[in-house]
Amino acid sequence: MEALAISLVNAVPLLAGVPLWAVTLLLMVVVAAVILVFALTFEGVGSLVLRKVAGDIQARIGPNRVGPNGMLQFLADGVKLVLKEDLIPANADRLLFKLAPYFAFVGSFAAFVVVPFGVGLIAADLNIGIYYVMAVTSLVVIGVLLAGWSSNNKWALLGGMRAAAQIVSYEIPVGMALIPAVLIAGSLSLQDIVRSQSGLLGIFGWNLFHNPFTFFSFFLYFTAAQAETNQTPFDLPEAESELVSGYNVEYSGIRFGLFFLSEFGDMFIVATLSTACFLGGWNVPFFNAGTLPWIWGNLFSLGVFLAKAFTMVLIMMWVRWTLPRLRVDQLMRMAWKYLVPLTFVNLLGVSLWLLVFKGKGIPAMIASLFG
Amino acid sequence: MGLKAYMNDIVEAVVTTAKGMRITARYGVDPREEVTLQYPEERWEIPEGYRGFLHNDIKTCTACTMCVKTCPVDCISLESVRGADKRMVLASYDINIGRCMYCGLCVEVCPPKSLKHTSGYEMASVTRGELILHFIAEDAAEIKARVARQVAEAAAKAAEVAKAGAQAGPEAAEVPPSGTAEAAGAQASAKTAEVPLSGTKPSDVSSESAKAPVVEPKAAKEGENKE
Repeated sequence: MEALAISLVNAVPLLAGVPLWAVTLLLMVVVAAVILVFALTFEGVGSLVLRKVAGDIQARIGPNRVGPNGMLQFLADGVKLVLKEDLIPANADRLLFKLAPYFAFVGSFAAFVVVPFGVGLIAADLNIGIYYVMAVTSLVVIGVLLAGWSSNNKWALLGGMRAAAQIVSYEIPVGMALIPAVLIAGSLSLQDIVRSQSGLLGIFGWNLFHNPFTFFSFFLYFTAAQAETNQTPFDLPEAESELVSGYNVEYSGIRFGLFFLSEFGDMFIVATLSTACFLGGWNVPFFNAGTLPWIWGNLFSLGVFLAKAFTMVLIMMWVRWTLPRLRVDQLMRMAWKYLVPLTFVNLLGVSLWLLVFKGKGIPAMIASLFG
Repeated sequence: MGLKAYMNDIVEAVVTTAKGMRITARYGVDPREEVTLQYPEERWEIPEGYRGFLHNDIKTCTACTMCVKTCPVDCISLESVRGADKRMVLASYDINIGRCMYCGLCVEVCPPKSLKHTSGYEMASVTRGELILHFIAEDAAEIKARVARQVAEAAAKAAEVAKAGAQAGPEAAEVPPSGTAEAAGAQASAKTAEVPLSGTKPSDVSSESAKAPVVEPKAAKEGENKE
């Protein structure tokens, strides 16, 4: 960000007198605002698409009253959430109750910072990108647990406890399934991981096709990540048929809205990570977006990245409306007896592959056969 | 659990998920699978023999009260008076559609087939009173008064004819007043101001018979209020 500030000061003579830290701060606020707007828009439109997809899959129509074909439904929902009364139960722990939604929302929103939207479109290319995402999305657990505890409601508490157990358990397979991508790129930075998948191989340069283990790794990550973000086959924290609505049962108005937004934010983060780590990120197949003029390269790569990420989101919705909810013991068994061992075996496999074949993937080897 | 069972579990999970996702994808892509009927804009075709709201064609209704008697929930109430041509004339015919259970017995039993189920099923009201369907718009008392007038006129005419023709004496002359008694009674329930046409003063007999038809609807109405 500071580098950008320096170039901005150099380019615009008017800013010469302004101290560098002020320009940097201003840039940070602007970038944060842009990302926030993007996140909120995505979450709004995402909720509409989710309902439309649900309607299609369940042989219904879905929202179609507000605006043409129901397109403005999310605005109506948003306005409703903002205008609703903000209720706090009489016996709730008021401070924690008010704090909880912010933890949940910040946890999902902060992860947007390292999302590699394009060649140069990233708020902060942290050299610990993946690690940062894993760490910061864990804030959601605190939010959910706090919400469940402070509501002073048995369903909310049960939901919160389940969420904590679930998210902590699934954190391990998620991390283990992402490590293959880190191993191949040799870096934790998401931009480096994306760049490691570029090249002349096009689609076959993606980590997904690097070797059989990375292929499985993608599906393991996708499964575990669905559970980590409380998506439907694993949405036990808010199992509406048994826990009413789980941890957010006592919330209303904008506080409920924040939980809602964080859920969609998590969805996008999962789609982002799977795109960046396994599906080639913003790489345009057979084409180096970095060689184009800055603006066109970024636009191209942004479009490609968003297309991939939104496809992943769509697949998540598809899974969501297909599979029935797991039982608590099934959920835990799946995490500890299936996903954790499998991801460890997978990690071992990738490591051995990289050691034996000197970091070359199958497509690269086939390509070298033909020269 | 052996390794084989473990691997089988994984394979089964993958296969069943894929199977389920294929089904949902088919439903999601195929627009013909939509079953939603967007009600106010689209409506379903009403089947034959559909029991909707009741409708009585009062022109053919004979006021036989079969429907009133057969109704298990007492939702039909009618008042009638005997007209000048000896046929019953409906003064009021009300169906409390909020109480009706659409059993269709009244329709089955109706001799002139004037009572029918329509295909209507849409109705909303703020008060229960609005759910009572009035098939005769005119006030019951007015109809009764009018019929009484007609009956009295007919009776007077008959009396005149009798007087002019036979001049027999008191027997013939006494018949018409007893005929008007009923009519006068019906009138009494209306406004006494409209009485004049019944030439004979209301006797004890007439006031007695006057009470009978009035009481019944009142009792019915009280029952309504209690509900």
